[in-house]
Amino acid sequence: MAKLTNLNAFDIISLSSGFDLSGLFVENDEKKEVQFTSTHTFSSITSKLGDIAQNLKLKVKKQGGLMKMEGTSGGRKGALAIDAEIFEFTPSFHLVELRKSSGDTLEFQKTLKQDVRPALKDIVWAWQGQPHQQS
Amino acid sequence: MGCFQSKVTRQYPGHEDPIVLASQTAFSVSEVEALFELFKSISSSVIDDGLINKEEFQLALFKNRKKENIFANRIFDLFDAKKKGVIDFGDFVRALNVFHPNVSQDDKIDFAFRLYDMDGTGFIERNEVKQMLIALLCESEVKLADETIEAILDKTFLEADMNQDGKIDISEWKHFVSRNPSLLKIMTLPYLRDITTTFPSFIFHSEVDEIAT
Repeated sequence: MAKLTNLNAFDIISLSSGFDLSGLFVENDEKKEVQFTSTHTFSSITSKLGDIAQNLKLKVKKQGGLMKMEGTSGGRKGALAIDAEIFEFTPSFHLVELRKSSGDTLEFQKTLKQDVRPALKDIVWAWQGQPHQQS
Repeated sequence: MGCFQSKVTRQYPGHEDPIVLASQTAFSVSEVEALFELFKSISSSVIDDGLINKEEFQLALFKNRKKENIFANRIFDLFDAKKKGVIDFGDFVRALNVFHPNVSQDDKIDFAFRLYDMDGTGFIERNEVKQMLIALLCESEVKLADETIEAILDKTFLEADMNQDGKIDISEWKHFVSRNPSLLKIMTLPYLRDITTTFPSFIFHSEVDEIAT
């Protein structure tokens, strides 16, 4: 899977939550995407995401810099599908964006909270908007 | 329309007729009315004066009125078109319009340029980009060596700064964006398509009440 390296300065700058105006329209727990930073390597991150997809019975498809995880069973608004995009600052510092690509936003948020976040605990440096927790 | 309009203008300085705003933007009249519902709730959250101040903007964006962020500050400054330190309803609709999925790329490219041109000189200077890059790294709690930061800046300016004068002008920016279209991702808000369902408009009802009394 190709990762997004060679980010120019503006690619990096545009990752700021200060540019994310979705907060004007929805509460944090209604958002369609979340970001986290990680000090792990690219392969460690993709491997962990692959494990999570497997546990959630999501089919994984890699499309350039995107890891698409697609459910097959219908939810309230069709099957849940999540995209993961990995941005490299350095080989040992990455930013990962998890986005709902289809399905119900509430289901996405619930899946994040119950399944994804706990499983990512070991590799997450900090979730967007929250300080790094000293463990 | 006269009595209702003057009462609303007193309560909401800078309020403009939704029909006028709709004709000047990509929004329909009912979408402008829905934006007014949103505007009312944001503008009354700290001081109930019909205007959005910086704290109210921060509260709406981050759910934390004290959270400062240099990029949110830039957005606020661009929304505050009349440079009054507050955003009125007309400002709000016109600025959000640029983020509408149906608005031209040119408008988005111009807005993004002004966003990054922090000191408004008409050029995006290298030190401005460095400042913004450092701010983002700080926000994400990512530490990079100064050489790495300089290398990222070198690469960016090699590509974007065509005449190599250490700054990016609007025409260089346009070329740069055409080669890197993902840079405009921040300039489109898909939420603006569903605005009438998220914020149902009650203005029609209140207008009827005004006329009756």
